[in-house]
Amino acid sequence: MSTLNLSVIRKLVQISAFVFFVYGGLITGYYLEEKLSGALPALSCAYDFQGSDLCTLIPIQHQMDHRLGETIAKGGNLLMGVMPTLITLGTFLVLFVILNKAFCGWLCPLGTFQELLQMIGQKIGLQRQESLSKSLVAKVRPVKWFILVLLVFGFPLLTGMGMLNHDLGDPFCKICPSRILTTLATGSTEQLHVDTANVTTITLTLFADFLFGLMLALGLTLRQPFCRICPMLALHAVFRKMGLLRLIKNASPRCDRCGLCAKACPMDIHEIHTDMTSRNVTFEDCTLCGRCVEFCPDKDVLQLKYAFIPIFRADPHYFKKRKKAQTNWEKQSLLNWFGNKGSNSRAEPS
Amino acid sequence: MKPSKLAILVTALMLPPCGVVSADEKQNLKSKKPAVSHGHRGAKTFHIDHLDGATITYIRPDLSSQSITPLMGKVTIPVSGVDNYHALVVEKDWGDHKEVIIRYQYMFGRPSKQNPVKLTAAQKSEFEIVPDPLPREHYRYHSQQTWGFLARYQGELLSNHPLILTTSNGSQQTLYTDEHGRVTFEIPDDFPGLTEGERSKETAQLTISGEYQQNDMNHSTQLVADYRVNPSHWQSTELGLLVLGIGFLAGGYLGQNLKKRDKKA
Repeated sequence: MSTLNLSVIRKLVQISAFVFFVYGGLITGYYLEEKLSGALPALSCAYDFQGSDLCTLIPIQHQMDHRLGETIAKGGNLLMGVMPTLITLGTFLVLFVILNKAFCGWLCPLGTFQELLQMIGQKIGLQRQESLSKSLVAKVRPVKWFILVLLVFGFPLLTGMGMLNHDLGDPFCKICPSRILTTLATGSTEQLHVDTANVTTITLTLFADFLFGLMLALGLTLRQPFCRICPMLALHAVFRKMGLLRLIKNASPRCDRCGLCAKACPMDIHEIHTDMTSRNVTFEDCTLCGRCVEFCPDKDVLQLKYAFIPIFRADPHYFKKRKKAQTNWEKQSLLNWFGNKGSNSRAEPS
Repeated sequence: MKPSKLAILVTALMLPPCGVVSADEKQNLKSKKPAVSHGHRGAKTFHIDHLDGATITYIRPDLSSQSITPLMGKVTIPVSGVDNYHALVVEKDWGDHKEVIIRYQYMFGRPSKQNPVKLTAAQKSEFEIVPDPLPREHYRYHSQQTWGFLARYQGELLSNHPLILTTSNGSQQTLYTDEHGRVTFEIPDDFPGLTEGERSKETAQLTISGEYQQNDMNHSTQLVADYRVNPSHWQSTELGLLVLGIGFLAGGYLGQNLKKRDKKA
C-alpha cells in the first residue's frame, strides 16, 4: 500500500517550510530589508537572524507603538499614522488570499514543531486519543482574540501614546514561543532568559519561559496547544472569507451519526461534524490541514477547494487506506514495543 | 600609530539614540510616568574636533550623497526621509597624511528598499574599515559580542593588517586581519560601575582604526560606532531554564489531569 497520503505530503511541506523559514536567511540574506515579505501570515520570528521572513504581528506591534500611538499622542495626521499598518495588512492580505489559513496548517514553524511534539508524545504513549470536550474548547477559544486585541494592538498603541512603559511596545513578541523556539533552533540561547530590568520585563519573561515549557509538555499530550490561543489564528479568522483555499461541506444525513471528521481535527472543531447548514466550513480555528477530509468516509462530503476547483475530496477508498495507515502508525509506539517485548519474553521458556 | 587629529567627540546631541537616557526620560523615570514613544526620525548632530579644511560627505542608502558644511565644529546629519544605514564620511588631507573617519548611522523613515551591503560595499575613501556585517535593524553593538570588520585599500582587501579597537571606556586591543582581510573583535565588557541584575542604558564609543602607507602618503582611518552594555548583565538564562522547567512540569500535570478527567467521563 502506498504510504503517500495528504498527511505525509503535508509533513514534507511543513518540514521544508520549517527549514526555509528558520534557516532560509542564509539564502535570502541577513538584513531585515532582504526578508521576503515582512508580513508573513505565520510565526516566523524576526529575532531569528537566520530566518527568511518575519511574521506580520511584529511590524503591526511596532507600527502601533512608534507610528499610530505617537501620531495620536502628538495630534498628528492620523492617516499618516495608520498608513504603515495598512501597508503591512495589505501585504499580509496578498499572501493570505493565496493560501488562507493553510499558512497555519502547512507552513508555520511553531505549528510544525507542535506536530513534532505530538508525534513524540504518541510514540512514547503520552498522546491522548480523544478530542477535547466542547466546553473546554469553548472556554479556550476567546483567549486568542484577547491576545490579538490586547497584546498585538492595544498595549503597543497605549505604549506609543505614552500611557504604558516602553517594555510593553511589543508584548506579544516578548511572550511568543516562536521567539524562543526559532532562536534555540539556530543554537542561540539569547531569547531564553529572565529579564530582571523591571517588573514588566520580569513578568513578561517569566510568562514567556513558563508558556514555552507548558507548550512543550502539553504538546506531548494534546494536539496543537499553543495554536489554540495564537493571535495569528485570530487575525486569520478575521479575513478567512477572502482566502481562495476553503474547506467545503456538502452535508449528508450520515454526518449526524459519524463525527470522524471532528475526531480527526487537531483543533477539536466539533462544528465540522455538527454544522449541517454551512457550506464554507473554514471555521475560525481551522488551519486547513485537511485531516477532516482525509477521515471523512463519505464521497465528496468534505472538500478542499481552491476558488471553485476541488483539489482534495473525501473518498471512501482513500478513507479506508488512510484509516489503516493511521492504525498502523499508532501501533508503532514505544509502549507497544515494550509491551510486545515483555509478552515475548514471558512466552519464552526460561 | 600617530594620534588622530580628527575625532568625533559627542554623538547624537539633538536626539539620543534608542537606549540613552535623556533628560526628559530621567524626569519621567523619577515621576514613574511613561513618556510618549521616542521619535527616532529627527536630524542627528555630531561634534568633531579639527574640522577646518575637512571634507564631510553624507551618503544615503541608495548611495546618493551630499556635502555637509560644519557649523561651529558640529556636523548635523539632515533627515533623509528614508530608513536604513547612512554613512557620514569625514576626510582631511594633511599633505603627507590623509585621515578619514566613517560612521554608519541608522536613520528612520519610510522604507529605503536598499540593502546595507550596498553602502558598505561602496568605496567611501581610499583606506577604510568596513563592518561585516552591520547590526540588523533594531540591533546594535553590545559588549561581549563579536563582530567582523574588513580592511580595504582602494577596494582591495588587506590581509595580515593590524587594526586597533579602542573604546571610550579605555580598552584597547590589536588584531591582524586574516587572508580575507577580515578581523573579528570581541567588544570589551568595560562599562564601569555596573550592578548585576540592573539594566543599564549606558552607551560608549568604539573606534576601530588602522594605518596604511602607500608611496609617501600615510593613510589613517577610523570606523566609529556606539556600543551598549550587554543585556546578559540583567538577563539570566539559568533562571529562564528553571522557569521553562516549571512550565514543563505544570504542563505535564495539566495534561495528566485532562486524561484522568476523560477517563472519568
